[in-house]
Amino acid sequence: MKMEEMSLSGLDNSKLEMFSPGAQAIAQEIYADLVEDSCLGFCFEVHRAVKCGYFFLDDTDPDSMKDFEIVDQPGLDIFGQVFNQWKSKECVCPNCSRSIAASRFAPHLEKCLGMGRNSSRIANRRIANSNNMNKSESDQEDNDDINDNDWSYGSEKKAKKRKSDKNPNSPRRSKSLKHKNGFSVCTSASNTLPLLFSSSGELSNSDPFKYNNSTGISYETLGPEELRSLLTTQCGVISEHTKKMCTRSLRCPQHTDEQRRTVRIYFLGPSAVLPEVESSLDNDSFDMTDSQALISRLQWDGSSDLSPSDSGSSKTSENQGWGLGTNSSESRKTKKKKSHLSLVGTASGLGSNKKKKPKPPAPPTPSIYDDIN
Amino acid sequence: MNKDAQMRAAINQKLIETGERERLKELLRAKLIECGWKDQLKAHCKEVIKEKGLEHVTVDDLVAEITPKGRETGFAMLPRLVLSSRTQAILLPQPSRLLG
Repeated sequence: MKMEEMSLSGLDNSKLEMFSPGAQAIAQEIYADLVEDSCLGFCFEVHRAVKCGYFFLDDTDPDSMKDFEIVDQPGLDIFGQVFNQWKSKECVCPNCSRSIAASRFAPHLEKCLGMGRNSSRIANRRIANSNNMNKSESDQEDNDDINDNDWSYGSEKKAKKRKSDKNPNSPRRSKSLKHKNGFSVCTSASNTLPLLFSSSGELSNSDPFKYNNSTGISYETLGPEELRSLLTTQCGVISEHTKKMCTRSLRCPQHTDEQRRTVRIYFLGPSAVLPEVESSLDNDSFDMTDSQALISRLQWDGSSDLSPSDSGSSKTSENQGWGLGTNSSESRKTKKKKSHLSLVGTASGLGSNKKKKPKPPAPPTPSIYDDIN
Repeated sequence: MNKDAQMRAAINQKLIETGERERLKELLRAKLIECGWKDQLKAHCKEVIKEKGLEHVTVDDLVAEITPKGRETGFAMLPRLVLSSRTQAILLPQPSRLLG
């Protein structure tokens, strides 16, 4: 309706003259009639209001009008109240008997009485902190042996402290910490099991080891040592399209174990084996005790114990992407030392030739690989 | 004179038939309130009532007092009113037909 209308004021009576003068006169008369109708209607309303007694309701008596007049003095608001009147007032806390400023009284009381949301949060944090302090002190003897190679006690403490600041139940803990420390801190528990990738030294150039699994690695640029270490942690299957190695975990669903085995054989020679095979992984190149076999078996048993929910989601593929890391966290129920060592064993052991492993049949796999190519 | 009266009647009838008149009336009422015409009139009413005394006001009194004032002030509002295209359509052809 509004779009149809043309304002007469806009027309400036010019269009009204579009009508013949007779029409104009008529229009005006019609308008006059309408106005009279409105007046009449209005009169009826007023009369009814007068007779029902509500006509004068919106007026107030002059006395009240004066009371509620708008105040316009400096230093006062329009109601006549003084600004900041309550800031200077002080109250006495019934709990601690201190005199507190009025505007700070409510938060003070919350903390003083120990009620309210914030105070419980602070208390919890304090408890967690004190727990961690106790823990770190008690484990100092254990850590001395292990930490010769890699972690100074200080940095581990730092790592621990950082973790204690966060919510222990949050699912994001593992991710954020991994990002921070590269890939040297194992997560998802209050336990810190530093992964020993730094120990093997080959992994120190971190460029190919970007945490996000979306990129591949072109294997031509990597040296043999790097390759070996890569293959111990990542799927490594070479994609047809991009000719790059898959950077997903050792259990990545896109590639089969056969493919992984093929790749490893291709790169590391016929004696190379997949890290996933569960048979004993004791290896000769490092001076490890026989307990290593037991330990590594324990470790991989731990990996199989990962809950089914883990394997389903994509998140866990990331968790397992540093599969050795989370496995060690799973098996933290065994002592720290053991899993620590087991990590060393598997990480470095895969780089070397293993003798005792049952070898997968060599002939079929190269043919498979040919097919892939 | 007769023709004018005829024309007026015809136009009025046309307006009522199409329902345009009611619409115009509502429109006018809204516009008058907007302009403050109603408040002016109300103030005038209060004066009249105070003069006459609250108890003895009658409808006729009110009408007699207020209508002329209302009409005067109403005409002052005329330039601000709008003519819808529909109303124009009704008004336009009539005069030519009747006058021509």
